[in-house]
Amino acid sequence: MLGRGLKRKLSDYEENMAGLSSAFDSSRNLPYPLKRQLVLNMCLTKLQTYKMLVEPNLHRSVLIANTVRQIQEEMRQESSQQPVNICPGIAPSSPSYTGMESSGVSLQLPSGITQQESNCCDLRSVEDPIENSLLIVSDDDMSSAISSILKDLDFVEDISPPTCLVPTGDDQPKFPENTGLKLEDDRQDLKGAECVFGSFEISNSTSYLKDLAIDDIFEDIDTSMYDSDFCCPPLMPPRSPSLAAEEPLKTFPSCNSSSASNIQICRTDLSELDHIMEILVGS
Amino acid sequence: FLGAGGGNDIQWCFSQVKGAVDDDVAEADIISTVEFNHSGELLATGDKGGRVVIFQQEQENKTQSHSRGEYNVYSTFQSHEPEFDYLKSLEIEEKINKIRWLPQKNAAQFLLSTNDKTIKLWKISERDKRPEGYNLKEEDGRYRDPTTVTTLRVPVFRPMDLMVEASPRRIFANAHTYHINSISINSDYETYLSADDLRINLWHLEITDRSFNIVDIKPANMEELTEVITAAEFHPNSCSTFVYSSSKGTIRLCDMRASALCDRHSKLFEEPEDPSNRSFFSEIISSISDVKFSHSGRYMMTRDYLSVKIWDLNMENRPVETYQVHEYLRSKLCSLYENDCIFDKFECCWNGLDRQVEFFSVLHFSIVMTGSYNNFFRMFDRNTKRDITLEASRENNKPRTVLKPRKVCASGKRKKDEISVDSLDFNKKILHTAWHPKENIIAVATTNNLYIFQDKMN
Repeated sequence: MLGRGLKRKLSDYEENMAGLSSAFDSSRNLPYPLKRQLVLNMCLTKLQTYKMLVEPNLHRSVLIANTVRQIQEEMRQESSQQPVNICPGIAPSSPSYTGMESSGVSLQLPSGITQQESNCCDLRSVEDPIENSLLIVSDDDMSSAISSILKDLDFVEDISPPTCLVPTGDDQPKFPENTGLKLEDDRQDLKGAECVFGSFEISNSTSYLKDLAIDDIFEDIDTSMYDSDFCCPPLMPPRSPSLAAEEPLKTFPSCNSSSASNIQICRTDLSELDHIMEILVGS
Repeated sequence: FLGAGGGNDIQWCFSQVKGAVDDDVAEADIISTVEFNHSGELLATGDKGGRVVIFQQEQENKTQSHSRGEYNVYSTFQSHEPEFDYLKSLEIEEKINKIRWLPQKNAAQFLLSTNDKTIKLWKISERDKRPEGYNLKEEDGRYRDPTTVTTLRVPVFRPMDLMVEASPRRIFANAHTYHINSISINSDYETYLSADDLRINLWHLEITDRSFNIVDIKPANMEELTEVITAAEFHPNSCSTFVYSSSKGTIRLCDMRASALCDRHSKLFEEPEDPSNRSFFSEIISSISDVKFSHSGRYMMTRDYLSVKIWDLNMENRPVETYQVHEYLRSKLCSLYENDCIFDKFECCWNGLDRQVEFFSVLHFSIVMTGSYNNFFRMFDRNTKRDITLEASRENNKPRTVLKPRKVCASGKRKKDEISVDSLDFNKKILHTAWHPKENIIAVATTNNLYIFQDKMN
């Protein structure tokens, strides 16, 4: 979680970065691996910032992700040739590196410079301020960071019938392939919708539902038949007009594990979707 | 070009500036697009607040032969409003991304304006007469008591002060999941395309409830996405041909007759990378921000971060000409990446008139223009191979005074009147420029001001 303490660190980090990027540009003596690490860190910082935005810019995200992949590839090739020299990064289980969630990534900065950095990389000295402020990220973390950014950018498509221009005259060509492609697209879009809902920020949901015990909310509903096997039980709140509209939304599992808290979150999400559907249907 | 006078060189003079004077820029006033109509009489701008302002050129005063007509406000209207997408919890920006004029067919003018998600067809019409003499209504609109009507008369049209009305005639919505970056009207004047990051749709101007998807580069798995569409344009003469550019510096030419979904290009234009210029930012700076066909349709021009390239449609493997806009920035790429300037999308444009008859000879002009930082803009004369850097600033305010060329000192000793790279103001960027289709008049947009320059008429 980004607390106040970490936010302060981030702005310090940004100030350092401004100095670093002009150092990159002006200094010819900066060793290549250092330059590369600097660029990589800037990329990851940007991706992290974009992830916090409601709607990240797809164009920029793709360009930055490609830059990261390029650097990653270069580092992989180098490390396969010379396993000793370049330090690929610290292990994700390192105590100072928090926040690797299973469904999504919130890329956290290490809270401080660890001993590992100064030990493993013979290119840097502990005293050098530039090198000390660089963060080392592991290969896997980078890949998952990129993947999660791009997955989240897969917007929910409008679940409406596929549209195509109806040929009005004989000179209009027939386009049967387009309809086929559109249907496939819709199926993929549903998967995309699952991804979006999968990384749906828990913190956005209304907290008052979480505070109440599950049983209190649903005491008038007999949920005994749903308690065992289903990880995401289809709820049937007594609101008939929006029932039909709710059907497609119920198929989105916003939780994949069967823990109690996930079920609660699942129900919270569905209640919210319920609310949204009400607005849309206008009941 | 450098005021050498003689022959074909254009000498640019300040003509007008529109917009607020103060340095404190209101976000809504940031100009986001500039476009002349087909006759050049009208000049439209769109801004971040979703407004469109149209300027009209005054009819030339025959006695005042030393200056062309001035542009004055003709119509202002709110084209797009901010919207909220409740399902995705996203705000849809009202910023006008592009304006494209339709050729004039009758008394009214039509233009397409688009934000990130919705395209609108606007009709701009003049009203200079109004009916007077109704039987049942007073002149102020109040209804008369029918019992007081003793005679009948036929209402007549009487002149009134000119009123310009803008009304939305078509709204083309819900066809784009991603952000629309381009619209382009086909040479058939019946259809147009709209392009977002991953898809291009074809519309008929009369039909709003459906569009035809002609390009789709969205991968099955978004994690495999490595390239997005950055701009698209129809060929000026061939109504089945269009091009689209990508973030990887490629341009694809597609023929709609070949297949329904133009995912397979007819031609792929790509220049091999110069290994000596390779850097971490090579791909980012190769991303094409604008593509424009020449009037003949034989060439197209692309703008990437540092250069303008001219491509011959018959040659796919490299551009025929490359012009460096601000090569001195190449050594500053890391800083520009850090402050996000490297993602700035500069547009480019061709000069309007291809040729000019003067003293019984036909002079062929081909000049391209694009913007840069520090409110500088650049022009490249393709015939003389000369280029010039000019500045859009209120300090050059005197009409009919030729603009002084600017020069940026990349390194070493800075000469007098030169400006060093480190002193450039990267917040003052010229992203949008336009050239009058028939005369040497240009419109240059700084952040919130619109400058109009014209050539010095002798």
